[in-house]
Amino acid sequence: MKEEIPEKCISCGVTIAGAGGARFPCPSCGTVIARCNRCKKQSNVYTCKVCGFAGP
Amino acid sequence: MIQVQGEYETLIPIDEYLAAGVHIGTQQKTNDMKPYIYRVRTDGLYVLDVQATDKRIRLAAKFLAKYDPSKILVVSARQYGQHPATMFSKAIGAMAKVGRFIPNTLTNPDFRGYVEPDTLIATDPSGDAQAVNEATDASIPVIALCDTNNMTSNVDLVIPTNNKGRKALTLIYWLLARQVLRERNEENRFKYTISDFEMEF
Repeated sequence: MKEEIPEKCISCGVTIAGAGGARFPCPSCGTVIARCNRCKKQSNVYTCKVCGFAGP
Repeated sequence: MIQVQGEYETLIPIDEYLAAGVHIGTQQKTNDMKPYIYRVRTDGLYVLDVQATDKRIRLAAKFLAKYDPSKILVVSARQYGQHPATMFSKAIGAMAKVGRFIPNTLTNPDFRGYVEPDTLIATDPSGDAQAVNEATDASIPVIALCDTNNMTSNVDLVIPTNNKGRKALTLIYWLLARQVLRERNEENRFKYTISDFEMEF
């Protein structure tokens, strides 16, 4: 089954269009996390909605 | 001495972390690394929280175990990280690019040394800035070993550690390799000792 890719940045909620940012499994629970380029660059905190893991 | 809160069991005894100097930071601190700083010594040196390092190694291993090992790229421009990074890649079956990271490696398909990894491990986000920037352009998640003076821009998972010491880098890469194989239930494949990962003079 194809995994559904979230389209919104987990930190700021902006829609991620095309390439850019990063999509990766949550290190703690494996839920897919998407971060936009700006939040990555500014090192904004992201929190997994399922397990509460806070990164980076 | 660093106190361990509660009954948290570390991967190796705390004393071994301290002997390798994993907790030793620098005399500079960044806002990004504040959550991982345990205290500041009277000489102005910032000391990292070893428990946070241990937790992050576990998480990073869990994270890396989800990827195809041949699609993991380890980079180290720093001399003391080159041998540990190479051994790490050998132990888990990943790719390694040590020494100078040639621009275009992750972004230009026409380049002879072009590779397409799924995740990147950087030994020092400032020293390996070229690799981190290219990984960001290619939408590849980045794990980085960060010291107290590092910015965590473009990093997706921080492992707070001393990334300048020979023994600290050796221990971190050895632990990470062992833990990745544990997560993959292939621990019996891991036959290396810490000294195998250590860079010789």
